[in-house]
Amino acid sequence: MSAKQESTKVLCMDKVEKHFGGVRAIDAFSLTLHEGVVYGLIGPNGAGKTTIFNTITGIYTPSAGKIHFYEKDITSIRPFEAAQLGIGRTFQNIRLFSNMSVLDNVVMACSMDADYKMPAAIFRLPKYRKLEKQINEKAMGLLETMGLEDRANERASSLPYGHQRKLEIARAMALNPKLLLLDEPAAGMNADEEIELVEFIKGIHQRFSLTILLIEHHMDVVANLCDHVTALNFGKTIAEGTPAEVKSNQAVIDAYLGVAK
Amino acid sequence: MFFQQLITGLSIGGVYALIATGYSLVYSLLDFSNWAHGEVAMLGAYVAFMAISALNLPFLAAVVLGIAGAALISLFNERLAYRRIRHNKSPNMFLMIAAMGLSTTYQNAATLVFGAKFKQYPNVLPISSVSIGNLRIGVLDLVSLIITAVVLVVLIIVINKTKFGLNVRAIACNSQTADLLGIKVDKCIATVFLLAGALAGCAGILLGMKYNVYPTMGNVGVKAFIASVLGGLGSVPGAIVGALLLGVIETLASGYLSSGLRDLISFTLLIVILLVRPAGLMGVDVQEKA
Amino acid sequence: MLNSFQQGVIILVCINVIAVLGMSVLTGFTRLFSFGNAGFMSIGAYASAMLSVRLGMPFIISMVFGAAFAGFIAYLLGSLTIRLKGDYFLITCLGFGESVRVLFNYTRGITGGAAGFAGIPGTTTATIAVVCAVLAFIIAWTFIHSKFGRNLTAIRENEMAADAVGINTFRYKRLSFVFSAVFAGWAGALFAHYMRFITPADFSLAKSCELITTTVIGGLGSLTGSVLGALLVTLLPELFRGLAEYRMFLYGVAVVVVILLKPDGLYGYREFSLKRTINWWRNLPNMIREKSAQRKQRREKRGESK
Repeated sequence: MSAKQESTKVLCMDKVEKHFGGVRAIDAFSLTLHEGVVYGLIGPNGAGKTTIFNTITGIYTPSAGKIHFYEKDITSIRPFEAAQLGIGRTFQNIRLFSNMSVLDNVVMACSMDADYKMPAAIFRLPKYRKLEKQINEKAMGLLETMGLEDRANERASSLPYGHQRKLEIARAMALNPKLLLLDEPAAGMNADEEIELVEFIKGIHQRFSLTILLIEHHMDVVANLCDHVTALNFGKTIAEGTPAEVKSNQAVIDAYLGVAK
Repeated sequence: MFFQQLITGLSIGGVYALIATGYSLVYSLLDFSNWAHGEVAMLGAYVAFMAISALNLPFLAAVVLGIAGAALISLFNERLAYRRIRHNKSPNMFLMIAAMGLSTTYQNAATLVFGAKFKQYPNVLPISSVSIGNLRIGVLDLVSLIITAVVLVVLIIVINKTKFGLNVRAIACNSQTADLLGIKVDKCIATVFLLAGALAGCAGILLGMKYNVYPTMGNVGVKAFIASVLGGLGSVPGAIVGALLLGVIETLASGYLSSGLRDLISFTLLIVILLVRPAGLMGVDVQEKA
Repeated sequence: MLNSFQQGVIILVCINVIAVLGMSVLTGFTRLFSFGNAGFMSIGAYASAMLSVRLGMPFIISMVFGAAFAGFIAYLLGSLTIRLKGDYFLITCLGFGESVRVLFNYTRGITGGAAGFAGIPGTTTATIAVVCAVLAFIIAWTFIHSKFGRNLTAIRENEMAADAVGINTFRYKRLSFVFSAVFAGWAGALFAHYMRFITPADFSLAKSCELITTTVIGGLGSLTGSVLGALLVTLLPELFRGLAEYRMFLYGVAVVVVILLKPDGLYGYREFSLKRTINWWRNLPNMIREKSAQRKQRREKRGESK
């Protein structure tokens, strides 16, 4: 742990709160992410995990507290700005551009690379051609990394479920993210698919030297992937540490089994 | 002067409310703007008119026939178009486009069948006005105000106190869950269309009595649409408040400023209100779940 | 050469093509509904007409100004209203379109009010109209097939996902709105300089509805479909003049039928391709043979079961 604390802080959430009416979805929640580490976020349904993702990515603005990303205050950022700063995410309910082709899904996420103005597009100037070509190559490259290159021209909605999840990750990777947020990447997968997914995430983590924060219910996925786990209940941190430590923590077991205090 | 205008405004707003509540009910269930609703009111007015002029029926019988006709046409729209689109699981946008198509169809069909000429109901009510204190209020305005008040109170009681109303509210919350709970969703939706149609028919006849009957009178649907947006789409009390507000503003605007600028003023006000409250006065701004 | 009637038909087709292309970008590719585009048409028409008549500007300047001015107004309006959702946005557009009409009716001193604005030079010829329509199509095509169109399509497909990949959805939706208004204004300017006389009633809510209707019939998400739709909707009534009074009635029926039977429109979500059409045409005899064989089989089966 001591080595980690010296490395650069990617994300810093400081006593963040989010209220919906009278409900405190997250309550004085603090979290620090260090560069290159894989973090896990666990907790029973309704514990506030996705709400944390939504406050980081600007879908929700926190009711109180501060969020910093590489020392920049992103507390009241808007969603597209978060993406442009390099926070990529996937969604719990897959959100692809379902009528578009697999390739287009990734190409659409490269809008930041398409740094040309309207005249360049309308008159098809060399700059437009060059950038568009680069984007296509980049997108194809990403699909290859994900093993989806054979399906590049299929409709995204026609892909099997597991591939759709991978495509969503490919799309997030098109942002060249520094931080990747994965919302239940293994949801709905069987044991074999789970193992494959773990290897796959490990692969992109090393290859792109990413910092990853993932929400997951499958404890074996968490145990295999994460260096550090935070357990959440009713919007509050109830335990944190290595996967093994958290797994054996009494408060976590109680939260999952619903033991009355 | 001001109070007189206020009463006139409320009476017009009441008629808008009859259409707007139907609009809102349908919106709350199916999440789309039923553009053909104004045309249902127009057709109701024509049915009543034809009952008088062609069948020589007494006025009250014609009114009943007009309301029933409007209700059936509203149900016909649901059976012909909306239900199929729903069962195809097409996007909601298609419901609105279909409704737009139906609206154009009815408006022009009415022109083809009845001609573009204005038709008049026989004078059943005296065109005089009654004096209350130093206010002079048209008999028609007063009758219309009373009728709408009664109808709307009954509607609210139906929605809040009966089993049918409970089913409607359940479907509005989540139609799939309602279906699982054993509510006959399609039947319930059909009943709502009948009810909305009847309310619109009532409004059409009142409008016909106050002004005339003509093919483009269904454009009052736009007013009802504005009223329900003002109040918050899908909220019945919101629709009533929005409609009364719109009626009063329109009357005051034409009374004190200029009748030419009436619509401009109400539209500007609409935009201002939406900028302050993006989901209308009584609507709930629901955020999509990530 | 073409007679003046034929020229008139061509001009009207081209004007509709331009306005519908704008609508197509907004509704077909961004899934925003505007019932106010007739309002932008009238702004383009009146602005260009005044420039031509009052200031004696050459046609091209009036036209560009008319289109740009409509776009400017859309920018202002969009900055306020684009954030509203679904039908809330739609109603503000509708209100805007109607307000413009009311305003032009009311400002008799400047616009001639309900009596109309007359004396506009009749500069729009068939050639100019065709050149404009082709230009409009090329601009729309290149716009849609660049990052701009791609970002709009992303918003149409899933707004939250579009946000999550760094697309400024507010700005792009407004851009789409402005784009459609510029095209509407352009069409309006051509219209004014063809008719020579315009009244606010030319640009009513019914006109906005007609534009949306045409876009839907042609097919959402297809530029070629929109051109096809505009051609059909403008040409058919001219071909069947006897049916003129049934025109709007038939539009309404057509929309309902299209939505029920072929919800993507004539050419929804794909563009017209010559190759595909030729292949389809070549395959047609085979297809007919197959169909009739199937029918025969079915008939025989039915015969057996009896």
